[in-house]
Amino acid sequence: MAERTCPYAVLAEFDAPRALVEGAGTLRGDGWRIETFSPFPLDGLGDAIGFSDRAVPVAVLVGAVLGAALIFAIQAGANLDYPLDVGGRPLVTVPGFLLVTLECGILGAVLAGIGTMLARNGLPRLHHPLFNAERFSLASDDRFFLAILVDGDADRAHDARAALWRCGAVDVVDVGEQLVA
Amino acid sequence: MQIFSPSADTWFRAGLAAFAVLVAALALVGGGYARSEYLTQVGWTRDQQVPFSHKHHVGDLGIDCRYCHTSVETATRAGLPPTHTCMTCHSQVWTGAPMLAPVRKSLATGEPLHWRRVAQLPDYVYFDHSIHVDRGVACVECHGRVDRMPLTWRAKAFEMKFCLDCHRDPAPHLRPPEQVTRMDWSDWSEDRAEAFGMAAMRRFHVEPARLDSCEICHR
Amino acid sequence: MTAPSRYHQITGEVVSIPPRFPAPRAWWLLFAGALALLALWVVAVAVLLVRGPGVWGNNIPVGWGFPIIGYVWWLGIGHAGTLISSMLLLLSRSWRNSLNRFAEAMTLFAVVCAGLLPILHLGRPWYFYWMAPYPNTMGVWPQFRSPLAWDFFAVVVYLVVSVAFWYVGIIPDLASARDRATKRRWQFFFGLLALGWRGAGSHWLRWRQAYRLTAALAIPLVALVTASYALLFAGGPVHGWNSTIFPAYFLVGAVFSGFAVVGILAVVIRSLLGLRDLITPLHFDRIGKLLLATGLMTLYGYLADAFTALYGGGYELETLHDRVGGAYAWSFWGAVVLNFVPLQFMWRRRFRTSPIVLALVGVSVAAGMWLERYMLVVTGLFRDWTGSSTGLFHATFWDWALFAGFIGVFATGMLLFVRLLPVVSAFEIKREIGESGG
Repeated sequence: MAERTCPYAVLAEFDAPRALVEGAGTLRGDGWRIETFSPFPLDGLGDAIGFSDRAVPVAVLVGAVLGAALIFAIQAGANLDYPLDVGGRPLVTVPGFLLVTLECGILGAVLAGIGTMLARNGLPRLHHPLFNAERFSLASDDRFFLAILVDGDADRAHDARAALWRCGAVDVVDVGEQLVA
Repeated sequence: MQIFSPSADTWFRAGLAAFAVLVAALALVGGGYARSEYLTQVGWTRDQQVPFSHKHHVGDLGIDCRYCHTSVETATRAGLPPTHTCMTCHSQVWTGAPMLAPVRKSLATGEPLHWRRVAQLPDYVYFDHSIHVDRGVACVECHGRVDRMPLTWRAKAFEMKFCLDCHRDPAPHLRPPEQVTRMDWSDWSEDRAEAFGMAAMRRFHVEPARLDSCEICHR
Repeated sequence: MTAPSRYHQITGEVVSIPPRFPAPRAWWLLFAGALALLALWVVAVAVLLVRGPGVWGNNIPVGWGFPIIGYVWWLGIGHAGTLISSMLLLLSRSWRNSLNRFAEAMTLFAVVCAGLLPILHLGRPWYFYWMAPYPNTMGVWPQFRSPLAWDFFAVVVYLVVSVAFWYVGIIPDLASARDRATKRRWQFFFGLLALGWRGAGSHWLRWRQAYRLTAALAIPLVALVTASYALLFAGGPVHGWNSTIFPAYFLVGAVFSGFAVVGILAVVIRSLLGLRDLITPLHFDRIGKLLLATGLMTLYGYLADAFTALYGGGYELETLHDRVGGAYAWSFWGAVVLNFVPLQFMWRRRFRTSPIVLALVGVSVAAGMWLERYMLVVTGLFRDWTGSSTGLFHATFWDWALFAGFIGVFATGMLLFVRLLPVVSAFEIKREIGESGG
């Protein structure tokens, strides 16, 4: 089998957020694997790209519970391990433990939430094929991009280019040569 | 604009992993150092003017601890013997031994022997030998089997936890006060020690709840 | 299509500041001053470490002195940054976007100062880690039923959460700075910090979940942190401290002093970097209103405190007499005058929108709140229950040196932040424009 090179993705540029969101909705409806890129979070994008990932909120909840439970156990354990009688009060003094418990619950929630956000986003990732696209740096400035992931399939890349032009893209380029057998 | 090469991610992740490993290693090394015999000096002998052997004097000859450490029953400090104590025997035996020259010199000049202390507590700890001996904490509990030490070393890590372990649960460590200098307690089973200790605690009104108050030791 | 060019304008205005710094001369002058104070801090800490806390005025009965005054003061300043950012984010107040980035940076450096002060106050600061629960060779644990242990967790958690919140919020702008940078070293610097952020749609959505949840959790955290150190006072059997209203009272006072410093920083950063169309009179107006509102709440706290003393009588009344007419009456009246007299300018829009008036009122309030902490700590302690533990507190040279040194720590951090990172949340401002017109 002869070796040939094919794009990893086809990248279209839009000049307004609304065109991007509408285009994303249309293409996703047609069954394309897409990803959008914008300088700021766009309203209505979640529905357009069919985003339904609840990992971050779930991680926040789990982190909160784990952080709070761990520090509560440490506090109770410390008091049971070295019992100090303070005016006859109970050793496991729930009201007295609450501040630290809640604080560490928040710590666990925040670290779990942000850690999950980075992990699910595949960050940190310093090198990425998309950075090869000449105008992609404008995705953090004032341009809006829509990529169709074609994974080196030449026929799909051809169709993808046509679909992107139909959505009102101002420019369409191939990104990231990928070697396929 | 591709700023980083594909290998940059590997390096970046390796760096993050190395940092995590470094933090974990620092914690482990720090914790290990705090518990190491290098820091606690357990098992380390010190250079002395005279290489005194507790093994010979206590183990082989059977001299009682109190023969030399005379104030252990009545004072905070057990006391190191004056040169005259050594000379009670060494004016008669090994009178010309070169090893004992510093002892003879000390007797002649009146300047005490300079011993380097092996078992020493920090200055902020108030420790009284007499009460421990009086309640039956055997010498061996803290000083180990000195009858087996050719040169003297520290037997136990004198950390706060070591003191507290006994203060919180004294029963297994108590012995008949008249036998405190006995080194070998292998004929006492754990049950027997516990039963004796409980009885001794009742008799002496030893209350662990008071024994682990801060001001018991930090006065 | 005017919106895209406006996006580009804002991007350029904010993220091009570090590579093409607009005011190098003024920045270096300020930085030299900050470094001088930082050097003073190093000397003051070195003297403290070598000679011990005896170099301070702290003694029985006033064992807390400047370090704890400074601790409460700095932590209070920090709270405003968290609240202005998180509360206004959740309430969708878009004017927050011009202020939140540097207000959060202010929180970071204020918390660093606040965290160092009680450590230096320990006597043997190198053993500060004894406050953490870890398996140790002493066989003891921190006393979790004491506010001292709560304090340790409050500061550590607050610092970590503040850093996390600030960093997650700055990542998209770091990516923008990376993409604009032309010099290799700036590309590398911002590239590493941005973690390869690409602005992908699914990334933004997860980012928004994490950012908003962190904001929502930061608000109760502020209340918990103020409660931790307020109870440190209220838990003690000291008249003038032993009061259940303290957590609320401290929260309001903290935010009051924090908004004052946000006002000062807004004025300084605006004129230093020329951000006249991003930090506008509208923002000064809002800060002024917040300052006025929290100031009046603090004033209510003063009045409620006095009323409770009059109502309760006994030792409380004696403490009140002491505060208004005793040896440290100057600190009480100083706090009242500096906190509430210039504040009255804030009723008028004309003064609120004037940068110079806002900055001066901010300085006055920051000083006034420091005096309030002084009044609280010193008048609480200098006359104890027994006559034998009555004694005056006099700050020494090294007290003042450390106080000034910590301003140097804060200023050095803020100036480096201003020099190296995007000081305003450009992407959130762009989002507002996009929503309204794009």
